[in-house]
Amino acid sequence: MKPKFRQLPTRMLLVCALAAAFPASQLTAETCISPYIKSLSKPETVMYLWALPATPSQGEDFLAVIDVNLASATYGKILKKIPVGSKGNEAHHIGYTDDRTKLWAASLNSDRFFIFDVATDPMSPKLIKVIDNVPKITGLSGPHTPYAIPGRILVSMASGPDGTGPGGLAEFTNDGRFIASHAATNHPYETVIKPEFNRMITSAWFPQKTWMLPFDKWDPSTWSNPNTLLVWDLKERKIVQTLVASDAVMLAARWMLKPGAKYGYNISSAGNSIWMFKMEDDGNFSYKKAADTGPNCSPADLRQSPDDKFLYVSCFVGSEIQAWDISDPEQIKLHDTIQGVVQPNMMHVTYDGRRLYFTNSAISSIDYSPRYSMQLVQIGRDGRMKLDPNFKIDFAKAPDGPARPHDMLLN
Amino acid sequence: MVRQFASAVLCLYMSAAPPLFAAGAPPEPAVSANPNLSVIARAPDFALRDTKGSTVRLSDYRGRVVLLAFVFTTCPGVCPLISRQMSALQAGLKEAGLFGRQANLVSVTVDPETDTAKVLAEYAQKFGADPAGWRFLRETPAKTQPVLKAYDEWTKLLPKGELDHPARVYLIDQKGNIREIYSLAFFNEKQALIDIRTVLAESAPQ
Repeated sequence: MKPKFRQLPTRMLLVCALAAAFPASQLTAETCISPYIKSLSKPETVMYLWALPATPSQGEDFLAVIDVNLASATYGKILKKIPVGSKGNEAHHIGYTDDRTKLWAASLNSDRFFIFDVATDPMSPKLIKVIDNVPKITGLSGPHTPYAIPGRILVSMASGPDGTGPGGLAEFTNDGRFIASHAATNHPYETVIKPEFNRMITSAWFPQKTWMLPFDKWDPSTWSNPNTLLVWDLKERKIVQTLVASDAVMLAARWMLKPGAKYGYNISSAGNSIWMFKMEDDGNFSYKKAADTGPNCSPADLRQSPDDKFLYVSCFVGSEIQAWDISDPEQIKLHDTIQGVVQPNMMHVTYDGRRLYFTNSAISSIDYSPRYSMQLVQIGRDGRMKLDPNFKIDFAKAPDGPARPHDMLLN
Repeated sequence: MVRQFASAVLCLYMSAAPPLFAAGAPPEPAVSANPNLSVIARAPDFALRDTKGSTVRLSDYRGRVVLLAFVFTTCPGVCPLISRQMSALQAGLKEAGLFGRQANLVSVTVDPETDTAKVLAEYAQKFGADPAGWRFLRETPAKTQPVLKAYDEWTKLLPKGELDHPARVYLIDQKGNIREIYSLAFFNEKQALIDIRTVLAESAPQ
């Protein structure tokens, strides 16, 4: 006799699986991390911050452990800094492995990866591996964002092995063994995956040699297709469509979180704009400008609320954080702003959508203010934002020297 | 100068911008007919007992493809779903004439204390597992632990008494290499069947 479940259509099983992966109707979810990572389902207690000294020669890049437990006596304080044993790495983005036991920290300039064990003692991560000679191993340079896929890490790499030309994606096991590289036609910045559609999108910025020069020496003529997003067949690791914008430097990209949501957005830093990508019924993607962020914004990061109702944009030059109402996906509206925050850059929204942490260093060659800090925005249920006066970590006046704070993860 | 950062980059870029172009037609969503199945790592060998007490080694399956899942019977979330999907995969493999002879399913419990041989056998029966090609394995906790560690698996007791573990399934080729790792939450048995066929085709006579 055939078991009854055999008659369940696959679609129904998939819906069940997705429901298990995205509980509580997506009203709470840790946003802007890989869907393969188990989401936090309770308030954060600790933050990991990947940072570097304000002047690289003054010390080693480090992972900072910050107390973000409201009930703690040391709330809002740096509990410890874990130096990585080398200088000048240009600490940038970090990512968890799929099982949340390891944290990969990528270095823009040295190409090194630092792997931390964050499971044995979450309050005291341990550096367990350093991967050197990455261009030689992968044929790629300028690692940007480590992104979890099952049992592996996929890293968007900006350029070829000498820091010029198109980059690609480098694939490693969670413990750092190289598997394969996948060539891109631009300079991959970030990777976002929608597993149920077998689709991966990578955004694009510029090659490593560019950001290692002073800003006035940047030469966009050396960039390959920085106005494009690439759509990949995830399983095949093959580019199946190139989405072309009239704006350039397409940084952060976000799929909407609801299972089955076929659209998302990305920011254009050079174009001061938000773009919308959408998988149409025929499987092809459409791509169009969704909004202008204002002429002096220079969007640096894009985050989303767990309920797919709001986007948050940090204006690196415009010194403001914008909240966009995306309830109507095709007609997004500026909903609220916080102004007067100096060169805001990376953001991180909590699982409940109620708090947004932000830092204010981009990369050493373009930071224009030394007033480095981490601050916190409280978000109301109506999506309105308010700067929290009780949370500010001043990295400009750190006892052991000023530091540039960049990417954050919560645990 | 900094205030003009965005407009400066835009102007510089536009002078070198490539022509606008958009093209390409992706294949059918959700599954891929030509999966990239790079060798990820060597699959660690193990020796565990099945529900009848017979020792089963991974290396016993050399020459065949194995889909290896780590599950536990009291799992409230994705484990029952993956077992259902593996049941559907079993049907697909039988239909293709691959079940047992060329492709095998193996489910290992990560909770051997709760999942006795009897409990695991009942669980297997519930999902229609045909022992000719789908076996459920368990061992003592002491002997299970090294296997879990070798596969970067672990268990953690959550405050409410639930067991947490990495939700993964491994595709192992005829030579004992891991060729794909699936997330239980996004496992698609149709894709798994394509992947198994793809790996098997590598050693098929030309």
